[in-house]
Amino acid sequence: MDKKTDFSKNKLLHEPRWLTQKRLAAKKLIPKLGMPKMEHFKENDIVFADSESPVFIQKIENNTDNKANFIQIGTQTVQAKLSQAMTDKGVKLLDIFDAFEQIPDIMQKYFMTEIIRADENKLNAIHLANLNSGLVLYIPKNVALDEPIEVKLIQDSRQKLDWYCHILIIAEENSRGHFLQHLSTIGDQKNIANLMVEVIAKPGSHLEFSSVEELGSNTTLYFERKAKIETDAHIQWAIGLMNSCDTVGQIDSELIGEGSYANSQLVSVTGGQQKVFLNNRVTNHGPHSTGLINQRGVLLDQSKLIFNGIGQIVHGAHGSKADQKNRVLMMSPDARGDANPLLLIDENDVIAAHAASVGPVDPVQMNYLMSRGIPYKQAQRLVIRGFLGAVLDAIPDKDVRKKMIAILERKLINGQRYRKN
Amino acid sequence: MSVLEIKDLHVEVKDDEKKKMKEILKGVNMTLKTGEIHAVMGPNGTGKSTLSETIMGNPYYHVTQGDILLNGESILDMEVDERARKGLFLAMQYPAEVPGVTNAEFLRTAINVRRPKDDPMPISEFLNELDKNLDLLDMDEAMTERYLNEGFSGGEKKRNEILQLLMIKPQFAILDEIDSGLDIDALKVVSRGVNAMRSENFASLIITHYQRLLNYIVPDVVHVMMGGRVVKDGGPELAQRLENEGYSGLRDELGLDIKLVDED
Repeated sequence: MDKKTDFSKNKLLHEPRWLTQKRLAAKKLIPKLGMPKMEHFKENDIVFADSESPVFIQKIENNTDNKANFIQIGTQTVQAKLSQAMTDKGVKLLDIFDAFEQIPDIMQKYFMTEIIRADENKLNAIHLANLNSGLVLYIPKNVALDEPIEVKLIQDSRQKLDWYCHILIIAEENSRGHFLQHLSTIGDQKNIANLMVEVIAKPGSHLEFSSVEELGSNTTLYFERKAKIETDAHIQWAIGLMNSCDTVGQIDSELIGEGSYANSQLVSVTGGQQKVFLNNRVTNHGPHSTGLINQRGVLLDQSKLIFNGIGQIVHGAHGSKADQKNRVLMMSPDARGDANPLLLIDENDVIAAHAASVGPVDPVQMNYLMSRGIPYKQAQRLVIRGFLGAVLDAIPDKDVRKKMIAILERKLINGQRYRKN
Repeated sequence: MSVLEIKDLHVEVKDDEKKKMKEILKGVNMTLKTGEIHAVMGPNGTGKSTLSETIMGNPYYHVTQGDILLNGESILDMEVDERARKGLFLAMQYPAEVPGVTNAEFLRTAINVRRPKDDPMPISEFLNELDKNLDLLDMDEAMTERYLNEGFSGGEKKRNEILQLLMIKPQFAILDEIDSGLDIDALKVVSRGVNAMRSENFASLIITHYQRLLNYIVPDVVHVMMGGRVVKDGGPELAQRLENEGYSGLRDELGLDIKLVDED
């Protein structure tokens, strides 16, 4: 049986005092803050209704999966496991509320302090005030994960329950790891998902963050994923946004250290009446740092997709490199898409380039494929997959790639259902 | 036996500069039967490529009069993919590049759309067939994992068209200037591929400027096109004569009032 309690009665008891105070401070900020700033996004394009105070729902879930390391359904963690070897080396994979208890020093130091802050915008403050789920991955110094950490996060929309999920990843010096998250929705209640990821990549660490996402159409999604990348650290984002919901999203790579590197790859497919606004930003602070953005979008039906690629090189980041490609493919005359590259450069000795394009499927390619007997819809899917291939092929993990292609195929078939042949 | 008939075919294209339609084909008649190889020769700008694209069903070309019949059935209302599945094939003069889709994946898709959904070609059979045809065309196996025509040289693209021909095994293959841009060795290889297809169940329409290709693929019938029409039919000896005399000789003999594009 469901037992509904608010956080003052339930988690609050387990929650450290500093966190409760931090939440309350954030709550006070909410009315004073504005929405996230984003080119071509106006506050009423997508409305995020205010939430009630955080809710935790206790529900017995038996959904376990032998392969996944971590499964969370709604606010409840149903599986969290690591290999013995990883545990012995000090790797931690914890429900975020367990982390507040078990590794309070780390949490107090990094949780919404220096990477993402509550006072940046209204949605961030709401996130902190209402935090109700999430996890922490900690990789100690010089430890290389033997295999990808697979995380399944399932939004529970069988009931009215806004989802405030926070992931914190700490990759200590010279560590290595691959984090793979899969996001999905069960149920069809209208709910907000406000999801944050904070990554600290300490000197010399390498982290891959892959995300396969298929949230439902009754969700309204806001996400922010931000990495602070120190000296000679590498981060690779591979994001597959195959959600069906309205979305405002930000991916931020802060290249703090000398020789740091970020490669931010993203594909997005939009359909129906969906509206998606994305900022993909890389900021070069450190000298000789490299920031790459490659994002590709496919629009079906009457959907709208705005890609803002932002490459910023601040003064002092000499010898650094910023390169971005933003491409959008329009599959329907009723869709609206835009790719806006922005380069903000405040240093002379740098290499910077950008490319952007928005266009329909090439009729010459279509005619060629069809002249070999391939029906229109199938030919269209081949061209789209080819178009996204430049990003999909860069995803290092073969299984992730396969999963993404399968979800893509499903979404495209769905988007093509009104065409006859 | 299958028959492809082209009857009094008139075709227009949109002239992008003048924003109006321009007639390219002005009444073409031709009958192809399986077991036969036909060659279409003619000077530049006479409508040879228009003929091949129109038979295949490229939507850029508009039929204003006449018909194209496959075994007595008009194919004009069919889209290009349906025509292909009915047995037509066009080896293109300028094959499109499709990044992100490998040659092998493309070939398997093209083969399997011709088979029942629940009976795709077994992979081992596909690979055997592929190996055999790669050998025949002196093609490197690595070609199959490259993206479809992306970054291929002119010669590689032409070989790849013939590889598709051999894998898909159509009844009627139109080869649109398959010899252009090929050196003599590549020309021999491509010809070997086409000759391997020759059978009672296969017909080909070979479009070319030059007689040289016809030394390697000997046609049963040669059609000469000028000014949007077929002006003369003959055997292989007609091609030889054109090689010696050029198109202007034939035009003058026939008393045609046609200006050749490259004539001063």
